[in-house]
Amino acid sequence: MAVVNERKHILPATAPSAALTLREQVAKRDRLTQETGHYYGITELSLRDADPIKYERFYNKLHAAVLAARESARFVAASPGSREMGECLWGVTTPEGDTLAVSMGFLSHTAIFPVAIRYMADNDYDVNDGIEDGDVYAVSDGKTGGVPHPGDFYSFTAIVENGEVLGWAVGINHLMENGAPVAGSWATFSVDTFMDGLVCPPMRTGRKLKQESWWKAIWERRTRASTMNILDDKMRLAGCAMINSAAHVLLAEFGTDYYKRAVREVIEESRRMILDNMRALMVPGTYNGCAFRLVKYEGLQHVWSHADKNTLIHVRASVEPNENGLLLDTEGSSRWGYHSYNATPGGADAAVFLGMINTFAHNTKVTAGIELAVQRHYAYGSIYNPDYEFTSNANLWAQTVALNSIGFNAISRAAFSRGYLEEAFTIDGNWGAFQGAGTTSDGTSYGFTNFEWLGGTGRGAWCYKDGEPLVWAAWSQVATIGDAEEFESCVPPLFYLGRKLLPGYFGYGKYRGGPGNSSVHWCVDPGKHVALTRPNGGLSCTTSVGLGMSGAYPGPGSFMISARGTNLPELIAKGETPRDARELLEQVDSGRLRVDNLEIWKSDCPELALLDNDLFVDAAGSSGGWGDPLDRDPALVVQDLNDGMAPDYAFVSNMHGVVAQCDARGEWQVDAAATAAKRVTLRALRLSESQSAADWWRGERAGVLAKDFLPQVHEMYCQSLSFAKFDAEFRRFWQVPADFSFNKD
Amino acid sequence: MSNSTMLASDERQFILAFDAGGTMTDAILVKPDGSFTVGKSISRREDEPRSYRESVTDAANNLGLTAAEVHARCGANIYCGTGMLNTVLTGNGRKVGLLVTRGFEDITVMEGGLTYLGQSQNEALHQQLHKHTRSLVHPKNVHGISERLSGGCYQGNIHLPPGHELIALNERQVVEATGKLLDAGVEVIGILFLYSFVDPRHEHQAKAIAQRVLRERGMDLPVVCSADVAPVSKENNRMKSLLFQCFAAELVRDSLLSVETQAKAYGYQGRLLTLLSYGGAVNMEYERLYETMISGPIGGLIGAQFIGEKLGIPNIVTADMGGTSFDVGLIVEGRLGMSKSADIAGHRLALQMVELDSVGSGAGSVVWVDEYKRLHVGPDSAGAKVGVCLNFDRLTVTDINVVMGYVDPDYFLGGQVKLDREAALRALDIAVAQPLGLSVYEAGAGVLDIVNSQMGDLLRTMIASKGYDTHDFTLLYYGGAGPVHMYGYAEGIEFADVITMPWAAGFSAFGAACSEYMHRYSRGLRVLIPNALSAADRGAVAGQIRTVWADLKADAKLEMAREGVDPQRVTFRYGIAARYIGQLESFDTALDSGEMAGPADIQRLIDAFEAMYTKVYPDGARFPDAGYSISAVHLEAIAPKPQPVLAEYPLSPAEPDAQAYVGSREVYHAGGWTPFKVYEMAALKAGNVVPGPAIIRDPMTTVVIPPQRTMRFDKYRILHYQ
Repeated sequence: MAVVNERKHILPATAPSAALTLREQVAKRDRLTQETGHYYGITELSLRDADPIKYERFYNKLHAAVLAARESARFVAASPGSREMGECLWGVTTPEGDTLAVSMGFLSHTAIFPVAIRYMADNDYDVNDGIEDGDVYAVSDGKTGGVPHPGDFYSFTAIVENGEVLGWAVGINHLMENGAPVAGSWATFSVDTFMDGLVCPPMRTGRKLKQESWWKAIWERRTRASTMNILDDKMRLAGCAMINSAAHVLLAEFGTDYYKRAVREVIEESRRMILDNMRALMVPGTYNGCAFRLVKYEGLQHVWSHADKNTLIHVRASVEPNENGLLLDTEGSSRWGYHSYNATPGGADAAVFLGMINTFAHNTKVTAGIELAVQRHYAYGSIYNPDYEFTSNANLWAQTVALNSIGFNAISRAAFSRGYLEEAFTIDGNWGAFQGAGTTSDGTSYGFTNFEWLGGTGRGAWCYKDGEPLVWAAWSQVATIGDAEEFESCVPPLFYLGRKLLPGYFGYGKYRGGPGNSSVHWCVDPGKHVALTRPNGGLSCTTSVGLGMSGAYPGPGSFMISARGTNLPELIAKGETPRDARELLEQVDSGRLRVDNLEIWKSDCPELALLDNDLFVDAAGSSGGWGDPLDRDPALVVQDLNDGMAPDYAFVSNMHGVVAQCDARGEWQVDAAATAAKRVTLRALRLSESQSAADWWRGERAGVLAKDFLPQVHEMYCQSLSFAKFDAEFRRFWQVPADFSFNKD
Repeated sequence: MSNSTMLASDERQFILAFDAGGTMTDAILVKPDGSFTVGKSISRREDEPRSYRESVTDAANNLGLTAAEVHARCGANIYCGTGMLNTVLTGNGRKVGLLVTRGFEDITVMEGGLTYLGQSQNEALHQQLHKHTRSLVHPKNVHGISERLSGGCYQGNIHLPPGHELIALNERQVVEATGKLLDAGVEVIGILFLYSFVDPRHEHQAKAIAQRVLRERGMDLPVVCSADVAPVSKENNRMKSLLFQCFAAELVRDSLLSVETQAKAYGYQGRLLTLLSYGGAVNMEYERLYETMISGPIGGLIGAQFIGEKLGIPNIVTADMGGTSFDVGLIVEGRLGMSKSADIAGHRLALQMVELDSVGSGAGSVVWVDEYKRLHVGPDSAGAKVGVCLNFDRLTVTDINVVMGYVDPDYFLGGQVKLDREAALRALDIAVAQPLGLSVYEAGAGVLDIVNSQMGDLLRTMIASKGYDTHDFTLLYYGGAGPVHMYGYAEGIEFADVITMPWAAGFSAFGAACSEYMHRYSRGLRVLIPNALSAADRGAVAGQIRTVWADLKADAKLEMAREGVDPQRVTFRYGIAARYIGQLESFDTALDSGEMAGPADIQRLIDAFEAMYTKVYPDGARFPDAGYSISAVHLEAIAPKPQPVLAEYPLSPAEPDAQAYVGSREVYHAGGWTPFKVYEMAALKAGNVVPGPAIIRDPMTTVVIPPQRTMRFDKYRILHYQ
């Protein structure tokens, strides 16, 4: 404190002598919350209770301003993801960065607000050299700003009155290109933060709600889509300016004292409501989940020998309701690595809160209350809280989708157990989009990301009905895939040949998931160069993101196909161009489509350079089913056949034990007697091929004792067992001797 | 009988305007002095002419006339129905077949993933409950056609130009698909190809082929191209516009024409008109009839525009408080604000629509307190059941107005309906006062405070979010409940003026009568104006725009001539959609003239764009370094049409006549009971000034004037709040 005071004498201070510094404000919030168990020590909602009308009026005004900011500012944007889709957000916070109100958009990204502000407070930004009203700060660093990955760019603008910071207006959007060695907005294959692109710890880039001139040069020189990024930056700022203005109107109308008290009460009030929702929806207990994520770096990183290996990330979490909400504990997850899939606590929060907000905050004021009601434990040194300060987090979503799915699945199971059937469904964590850069014949360079399949996919099955197509995006309540005409105009040489549902591509069960999606992109006149990559977070490389429930199959994972060197002109002449991944593979099998170099990518694909008539096919995964496939109503099976939703009769017949015949009109009809007989046969076969759980356990235990694992699995266990909680769980479950160790003898 | 849409206003005295709702059909008969009477009938979807007949007869009888006498003296007849909306909602439209770009066969099922349209943030947040709207076409009746055109790049001319043919139209597939659709029994065929808004030639080629197949089969079905229905970017929205036109518009057109036949049978000599969602009126021959889908709320804004023009008020914010919502719209420098897409019944259409923003605070909105002591108003509404005071089982805003004394329980609808104040009082106590620990009147005052505050916030936000200042705007309020609450929602906001009319309750219908006969045309362009563009190249751009305007003018005159308009009487307004190069969104920019002779006119476009942009966004959001792009040019074609006359009256003294005063009533206002003088609207004259606290009663509405305020009647009997 002495140092702070000394600085205040040397440099012009922002705050008047009576006002607290930002560091003091954060410390006060921490202390009061910790001491009382109530946000900011608010044990009584005195403003609300004294005059509930005035209190609601206050909040309505604040909320309306934030909602309006998005609806107006997003039109400044250049990127379809921001303008049309859910890839942007505005919020207003307390001085400490705690969320008060948010717009539509990818809500959980508010989780990082207090992280960035804490960093600014800890480093005395307000003291040296002061924070003034309308100052603009750029943030994209995970370590100091909590940002999930540098492709998410934040603009913080200060709300200051009489020298005191009273809050922040914040705008966020996902950039289409952020200047990493691998072009796009997720720096696939980066090894550390120095390869993550434009990474900004909180830094002031503007004054008086206007960016400094030099900031434009950063976008122009450090990213490949400068015009787009500059306009997106202006979009964030435009919304922040509107919120800043509205906040000052509120301060004038209600008075500073009322404002400062009301913003705390709002958060405490929503915390209490979320607690009530948790108690109402969840059966107490511990909900465990785990998933595994491939890291295929071997052979790709010869320049960085320390990163040149494949690994398997263990994603582990438990959810446990308690009297203060619930505890999400990731202890036992892998340690951080020299790859792009690491998270920071802020980024992990952004993943964890995806499902929590939907379920527990949808009927409350959406504030930092969710952060107070969900206690998180990210073990230090783990992938969620690295003890190395330069980890890459460029591609964190490709593994944190699994963390989100585990949390969401826990809630779904809890709600199902409690009887809230409409709240329980199989969770999809499909994630992936392609990105890249190119140079046209005239020398114009560009970068791009096509977000379409991030914007929406099929929803998982419920315990009483099938999932629906294209209705769900885990990270945004405003799911949409945008328009092909808009995405195509951003990537000069790529043209759509298809944008469809992927028939039969869902988790099978008594009720099936909604189908996946697929698009086909055709390269025409690539100019000097065009290349793309696609990070992937689907089930094919990140298990357990689309679980099946109660005996159903999980959702199939996303994958990509590159078909380079094709006879496409022949198919064009016949009007038979491939429209989706399934059709393309069928055409290849039948010889109609000839391809010199056909590759199917189930994990992140490396940079793929495309030439004329090359094809890139993007197939978004889908979600799981619910219930035993042999219990599916035969009428639903036939309906899927007739609707083209499940085109392969032989497959679905064996999957569901349904026998049907196709009549002269091409309509399938159920053969009820043959179906019943087939189901009896399949059930008998299933039993004959099964083993008891005890036998399975004994067999697997023998493998554990023999340490009979691939090197990547062995390393994964070593990392997870270095955390005490998992070590104890592991020993208890496998009943290994006390001296058992995974370390190599 | 003339087939002309237009009749000279001096030949006719009455204007008819109909609001054919889902339940009731209202006929508004506007008299030469602007006042009106209302006739009602039950809406019959299966027999709209009968509903028309009954409602207009009812209105005519109010004046002691027959329907034939009214029609004989009718100068304009505007019919706003909900038939098209009901067709979509009930799914009882035409059987549609679609031809789409190969690979996009699932577009109608996927509908871009938009499953939350019209939801509040809290509703949208609960995304596990999202679901698709019912499709307007069976997926099996959607066929892919091999074809592709390019659309150009947002970065400019760096790759293939817009409209470049990547894949030629596969004519064989069009023939086969058309045959399959006809075999499936479709009643209308739509065509949606990518980038048809840039170049419609593939769609038009396919249409010609489909029509040939139809002829060969001896059939005559409509074949509709998306480029002709909604020639704008975003295939998902364009698809919805096409589907609405195919599924609903053609079906409803027949019904509307039968209503017109009924009007003519009564002796009406003009064409029956309806309103476009972006303002303006058209007759039932209008090609893109789906653009009249939402016309009811538009009337008020058009009426405000009319009033603004008559009174010389360029900037107006309208406030329409009805039974279920409070709708706010803007008129800036005489023009209506527009949105580029319209969300209707869970569908997002590529349809320009008069921009309206709403909160769910209407007179019938249900008032309730949740378990967290949070007070809610709406979204449920009692609708025509008014509230507990009449025949509804939950507390509403009107109940509270009755309890507090603002609304006279004995003069509702002029005393035709008696309201139960005691029942409302009990409901307010139980539903709000007790849960919040307030006295019943504190609770009532609090609820009204919240409602008024929400409405005031919307007014302020609507103006501020567009970058304007309330001081530059006149608040024009209407709707049955608008004048009851005006004192509250206008409080604390400084407007240039605050006005309403004695006929505020019927102002929307009055506005429909005020509409222009107007078509709006847009043509997509991809024109770039980088800063380094030479004067010669700027001149070329000017020529390009000039050519498009000339084409659109020719189209407009042709279409209007088909509708019975003399092309010589058509006038035009001009605009562009512009943006900085790189931006995705274009911003509509109105232009003073259609002059487009050379480079200087291009600079005029840029200046107009910058002036518009900087009104909306802060300086930090400008990006002139990037250069400019024009993505569309707009043209509005206007034909003359009879308009209501705002009658002028001699000014009387400020003091109202004694017979205007009908008594005094206690009102709980500003924390206590206050005697309010009650006046009769019909007896107040131009020049009168009514000092508050006072209430002006009317069978259709109640005007509240709080203490320290006055209401002045000007020479048009327009009420000014001061």
